[in-house]
Amino acid sequence: MPPVATYSEEELVLLLRQQNRDAFNYLYKNYAGVLFGVIHKVIADDETANDVLQEAFVKIWNNIAQYDPNKGRIYTWMLNIARNSAIDKLRSKGEIMKGKIQSGEDAVNNVQKGMRSEQATDTIGLRKMVAGLKPEYEIVVNMAYFNGYTLDEISKTLNIPLGTVKTRMRSAMQQLREVFKN
Amino acid sequence: MNTREYIESGQLEAFVLGALSPQEQAQVQADIDRNPELAKEVAAIEEAMFRFASQEAMSPDPAMQDKIWSAIQASQPGGGEEEQARQSALILPLSPALRHTRFSRAAVWLALVGSMALNTIFWYQNSRQKQDSLAMSTRLDSMQANQKLLAQIVDNYTRGKNMMADTSMQTIVMHTVLKGHPMAATLYWSKDKGEAYVMMDALPEPPKGMQYQLWAIQGGKPVDMGVLPMDMASTAIIQKVGRPIASGEAFAISLEKAGGSPTPTAGNIYVMGKS
Repeated sequence: MPPVATYSEEELVLLLRQQNRDAFNYLYKNYAGVLFGVIHKVIADDETANDVLQEAFVKIWNNIAQYDPNKGRIYTWMLNIARNSAIDKLRSKGEIMKGKIQSGEDAVNNVQKGMRSEQATDTIGLRKMVAGLKPEYEIVVNMAYFNGYTLDEISKTLNIPLGTVKTRMRSAMQQLREVFKN
Repeated sequence: MNTREYIESGQLEAFVLGALSPQEQAQVQADIDRNPELAKEVAAIEEAMFRFASQEAMSPDPAMQDKIWSAIQASQPGGGEEEQARQSALILPLSPALRHTRFSRAAVWLALVGSMALNTIFWYQNSRQKQDSLAMSTRLDSMQANQKLLAQIVDNYTRGKNMMADTSMQTIVMHTVLKGHPMAATLYWSKDKGEAYVMMDALPEPPKGMQYQLWAIQGGKPVDMGVLPMDMASTAIIQKVGRPIASGEAFAISLEKAGGSPTPTAGNIYVMGKS
């Protein structure tokens, strides 16, 4: 469910700052799916993921006045709020500790599980290209973005040098940029 | 590290993926703010990551939309939707309310009193600020005065040092002429250059309306070498004599009326010394 491009980024910010129900409905219709997808990748439990989605929307709603367009795009800002809320929840539940002793192999398995769930949705052509990301690239992306690992933690967990973690992140993003060029 | 190396290091990707420590995150943000090329690169990475995340989209529980809206309402100070409804209800009856003169009069008075109170507060703040800035400028003035004084003292010392270093400089100590009054002054004279400096550290401060005057005795006659500043008696200030002194068998300082006299007043010559 990709967002319907009815409003430009500036219009969306203005709309949200009006703080009325129509603005909320638009926001929800276009972004709930993406935000929920990100949250669900961090937190497997449906109920908890729904709670976090609610927290994220409340934060977005109440902090829209503080959003600074010069510091990045509104989509990224919202995505980060959703992701950070999910990771905070994970940490508060102590699940991060479980995650930290996860071996690299488990991380690979998680990546593959993630790929399977992707195939359940539409846009098969894109999916294949994303799935084509080298597993060692996808692990570092998933560990950082969806599990909240720092560079240092990834380096120690996967037992690869810190510089390599960074170059893999770069390669992964380069590949995604290539895939999403149009 | 130049921009190219920075971009290729993967640091920006780590930034977008949230894998940096808070300090590193802040550092990269500062770098991005300074460098538009980095900002462009970060925007491209973010776009890719957003597209990537969009592929993971999942539909939440259908009941969530209403539930979240209620949660948003509950999080608003003053109760959100109800508050908005109340505000519009206040706006709508505005024209009928004008008929209620008692109410509107009260509102006008309230507004007037409120405005006066605000005026008073602002006036008070303004005057306090003015006081603060006055105090500040007074302090600045006194600092500047102090600095000027220090500069003068340094200048004096520098001149004194240069003068002492001059080997052609002759030191003439002028001793008291008045019995029972131990007084002295010193003249440093360079005959070659015709320059002289005088110090009156052992002369009393001149009484009001009086001033010390320096004389060179040339061919047995006192020649006026100018009056000396009022404030240098009893201090170590070394003052350059304003006129060139080519010759002089002796030098003397007398107390004269302020501004000086054409010839020294008899009985008022305080100190004298031979060259």
